[in-house]
Amino acid sequence: MPDSSPTIGQRLFLSIEKGFNTFFGERLNPLYCLGAIAYFLLWIVIFTGLYLYAFFETSVVHAYASVEALTHGQRYFGGVLRSLHRYASDALILVVVLHLVRHFVFNRHRGYRWFSWVSGVVILWLTYAAGINGYMLPWDRLSQFVVTATTEWFDVLPVIGGSMTRNFISNANVSDRLFSLLSFMHIGLPLSVLALLWIHTQRVPDAKTNPPRALMVGVIACLTMLSLFKPALSKAPADMSTMVARLDFDWFYLPSYALIPHLGPANTWFLLLGATLLMLVLPWLSLRKTGRKKTWNQAVRPDDRIIAVRPGETLLDAGLREGLPMPYDCRNGGCGVCKCTLLHGDVSLLPFQESALTAVDRASGKILLCCAEPRSDVEIKYLPLPGAKALPVKQYTARVVGLDLLTSDVMRVCLRVEGGVPILFHPGQYINVLLDDGARRSFSFATAPRVSDEIELHVRLVEGGRFTPGVFSKMQVGDRLRFEGPMGAFTLREDSTKPIIFVAGATGFAPVKSMLEHAFQSGSKRDMILYWGVRSLRDLYLGALAEQWAREHNNFHFIPVLSEPRPEDEWRGRTGLVHEAILADFPDLSAHQVYACGSVHMVQAAYPAFVKHGITSDDCFSDAFHLSPQWPVRGADAEMVKLGGSHV
Amino acid sequence: MSSRLPTWLRYALQGLAYAAFAVVIGYFSTSPQYRLRADNDAVLKLSFSHSAQLQHACRERSVEELAKISPHMRNKLDCPRERAVVRIELDMDGKPLFQISTPPGGLHKDGAATVYRRLPIPAGAHQFQARLADGPDGAINFSKEIRVDLAPGQILIVDFLTGSGGFVFTQS
Repeated sequence: MPDSSPTIGQRLFLSIEKGFNTFFGERLNPLYCLGAIAYFLLWIVIFTGLYLYAFFETSVVHAYASVEALTHGQRYFGGVLRSLHRYASDALILVVVLHLVRHFVFNRHRGYRWFSWVSGVVILWLTYAAGINGYMLPWDRLSQFVVTATTEWFDVLPVIGGSMTRNFISNANVSDRLFSLLSFMHIGLPLSVLALLWIHTQRVPDAKTNPPRALMVGVIACLTMLSLFKPALSKAPADMSTMVARLDFDWFYLPSYALIPHLGPANTWFLLLGATLLMLVLPWLSLRKTGRKKTWNQAVRPDDRIIAVRPGETLLDAGLREGLPMPYDCRNGGCGVCKCTLLHGDVSLLPFQESALTAVDRASGKILLCCAEPRSDVEIKYLPLPGAKALPVKQYTARVVGLDLLTSDVMRVCLRVEGGVPILFHPGQYINVLLDDGARRSFSFATAPRVSDEIELHVRLVEGGRFTPGVFSKMQVGDRLRFEGPMGAFTLREDSTKPIIFVAGATGFAPVKSMLEHAFQSGSKRDMILYWGVRSLRDLYLGALAEQWAREHNNFHFIPVLSEPRPEDEWRGRTGLVHEAILADFPDLSAHQVYACGSVHMVQAAYPAFVKHGITSDDCFSDAFHLSPQWPVRGADAEMVKLGGSHV
Repeated sequence: MSSRLPTWLRYALQGLAYAAFAVVIGYFSTSPQYRLRADNDAVLKLSFSHSAQLQHACRERSVEELAKISPHMRNKLDCPRERAVVRIELDMDGKPLFQISTPPGGLHKDGAATVYRRLPIPAGAHQFQARLADGPDGAINFSKEIRVDLAPGQILIVDFLTGSGGFVFTQS
């Protein structure tokens, strides 16, 4: 549970979001992407509007006819675009209001977010103005009402005092120049919204301005279907000499117009201006003393940086502001991607989904970066998102400090970086050893990060290779090597509680060893099972270590799989291809995460088979190596190289 | 944290959510209908912008007064810019609809007096009498009486244009 009990509004949002998470998933939950969806809707409005404008005639006589021609003459294109323009505008209001309400309910409008809140309120009114202005253009009965009601409303203001309505009092009074003015406004206002929207998002670090592609497709498909089923149509042409009794009314844009007859124009002004003023000062009004006035510091691992967390900032906001590669997705306590370990200090947690941070997580010191506000100086440790903002890749020079022949064709090579600088890496990443001519050979880290100042590599002999034969024949302790790293996106995802299946082929065991040792070290309680596929028993070069882990950790199991056991192996364990053994044990993989590392053939065979058995691409991680260069595979250059690494 | 629901069910529920979104947008973009007037009502709009007479007549400045003024501004006539209040009365079928007094616009009260009022009235035949006073004495100096037959929804505009001789009743 969060540190303070959620309010009714927060409970409401949390329960709806929880429901949405079950079928949208945390990444595609629209309620986590309201701001980005609003951006997307505005783009739809702008692009459809540009097309409509190309056919729109800005004159009293031809405006109505031009819109009708577009609507009916191009029914399945111009007509649909007109409807999209209308419905995206309506949806924009709905989404912006929801976005505003959500931020208010979750208290995300105070502190440093005041700027986004205030600019958001201005954007809301500008959006209203743009939409209402848009209704004036088709010059139908609704346009007539909107023009009349707007000018009557403005006429109550002291400076205007009754003169504005006279411009639209009769058909003879409405001129083409007025239409040009309305059209000009309808271009200027949305552009102002766009400009202000850009400013609005500047204050929020790494603000998402594009929803996930699947959401974009969903939104546009849904609005297109609506446009086809219920096209936006004009009413009868405007006629200022008569007034209709009833109108189909757009309740997204025109509710204030429905208030005017009841409250009177002046009181409606007072109400709206008062409400706007109240909204503008909300960030500084506090019914509860929830605001944090002090700036605290957070020490961040593995970046080894200390950064300030300003009042109103979450640890995630502060980290992103400083450019740290912190993982996140929903930023609303729903997905758990930003889960990290609180090493020291105290934080208060804003409301979040229980599934994103379980009681067990909290008991083990986990917090959600997006929901954590410091109550003291804090120290946290998180796993940077691979691929997003990786740890800096540098070149190092290292000395060989250990050579250990693990089996006839696998050598454990231990390196120590010169100068004693510890190299930062994530479990599962690798380095590229730099040969004299600039060629690279890739090897995974085989230990967990930070356990030692030595780097452990498992080097498999590739006959005819340019580097590995020398490791077995010439390399000695004390030799110098140049390498670059850390590289790669094959790293352990600690934001999930799903059981893990590790699949290692031959020396694909090295990154798996790194991940497992890291998991053991960090006290992970996730169920983990290692399938290590090799040809024969002698290739199981650290099988004893894996068996030892299985004895020491209840949540870990080890299953070696031999594809070509020799008679002298007297093998009674599993045989065959390693991925087939997994599928035999787990016909349904949908509740698991799979980490596969081995030859490209193994990974290419395993991945589609795993997908067929229910694994999603979000839960299947692989790293494959192949011979480099690929042709000729048995040439002098043949060597093991990581996919995704540098190929020479 | 990913869903345990079957894929088809997740897509079906997503489709339902999008459909609900579309229904909300589609419905409230046109419904419920908004009622602008009663079915049997016509509409009367009183709208004019009229510069009234000057509130004070011009007078000749005395020699002492002229002496106090800069030489290039010594105009013998002192004509105050302030205009009179415009008072308008509109009766329908012998009963008063409006009695409005409107001050002149502008910082120096020398602008036009502007009035706009909209009022629903029952459709049918009506006798209107309009009166306007725009002098400093407040006496009615314009009036017009007219009989008009209005259909439901029809708009009658009552304007005042000095160039057209006073009140102008317009209906299409």
